[in-house]
Amino acid sequence: MLSHLVIGQMLYYGDTIFYVISFVLLMWIIKVLAWGPVTKMMQERADKISNDIDSAEKSRNDAAGLVQKREAALANSRSEAQTIVNTAKTNGQQQREQIVTQAQADVQTLKQNAQKDIEQERQDALSDARNDVADLSIEIASKIIQRELKADDQKALIDSYIEGLGKQHES
Amino acid sequence: MNGEPVSTFQFLGLTFSTANIVAGSVVFLLVVAVIFFTSRKLAMKPTKGQNFLEWLIDFTNGILKGSIPAGDVGKFGLWGFTLFLFLFLSNEIGLFIQVATRSGATIMRSPTSDPIVTLTFSLMTMMLAQFAGVMKLGYKAHFTNYLKPFVFWLPISIFEEFTNFLTLGLRIFGVIFSGEMLLGVIWNLAVSHGIVTMIVALPIEMAWQGFSAFLGAIQAFVFVTLSSVYISQKLEVEG
Repeated sequence: MLSHLVIGQMLYYGDTIFYVISFVLLMWIIKVLAWGPVTKMMQERADKISNDIDSAEKSRNDAAGLVQKREAALANSRSEAQTIVNTAKTNGQQQREQIVTQAQADVQTLKQNAQKDIEQERQDALSDARNDVADLSIEIASKIIQRELKADDQKALIDSYIEGLGKQHES
Repeated sequence: MNGEPVSTFQFLGLTFSTANIVAGSVVFLLVVAVIFFTSRKLAMKPTKGQNFLEWLIDFTNGILKGSIPAGDVGKFGLWGFTLFLFLFLSNEIGLFIQVATRSGATIMRSPTSDPIVTLTFSLMTMMLAQFAGVMKLGYKAHFTNYLKPFVFWLPISIFEEFTNFLTLGLRIFGVIFSGEMLLGVIWNLAVSHGIVTMIVALPIEMAWQGFSAFLGAIQAFVFVTLSSVYISQKLEVEG
């Protein structure tokens, strides 16, 4: 087959032209059908991936910032809650003390009043009893003096006395 | 195949080899079919065909990036892709389809098992290298490269152009041609003594076919690699 390369023999150099034209035509067809669209698509994909990476980086930073903000807010609210609880505790303590003091004072007053009332009652009762005893003595004495001392009389005297006691008690 | 008749025809005063025209047309249509069916429904998220196509584009671009400066790879991407796909299918097709006429003239085989085809591609590479060199550096810088490292280097530089042209074309031709010739020899062995040799020859044939398929892929790769090397040599001013 190499013998065809020898000049002057049946060299089919028409094939050269055929293959050159075929190749150029093939390049054009591939460019239109595949090379152009595919390389464009690959470029677009590369751009998209690069953009995605950038935007992912950005959202990561945003998220980190948000987390920091949240943490700061959380710490802030925690300290606020601590303050509120402390204030409430102090207030409660104060109120408790106030109430206890108030109660103690009230009890003291009530006790004093009661003692005063009891003393008063006792005094009243004593003076009443004293008056009654005096009246009774006087009555008995007058009855003894008015009557002779007889057995019946004695009895009548005692009865009247008892009667008088009942009356006295009723009044 | 040596000494066998070659089917040729005349057209517009030029001689054509029937086998080369038929095989070249078949490979041409195959490449168009592959490209057409893999490039349907292009999407941002690639599917099967598109994946394959993009892998192939990345692969040939990778070959070019190995030697051509990064800024110039884009200009040669389509050329490298087409060249690789065409040569690869040309190398492989003859391993599976070989057709001969009644008179013994082959009309279907690997296009690259004919030196005129491989030398055509080699010549295209050399011309593209010259063209790219002139476009990038200008005529003056491009042709003074032949006088470096010193003026008397000129004959060697010019001679080197021819040897590059010949070795690039004949390397792929030699491998593919010998591969197909050996397939023919094994076939002759298979039919020589009936069923016995057929059984013996079958595994040998299969093994050699597999090896030739591998060699065909390697040769397509080597051709594109060396082409990009020759082009890259023309793209820079020698020191």
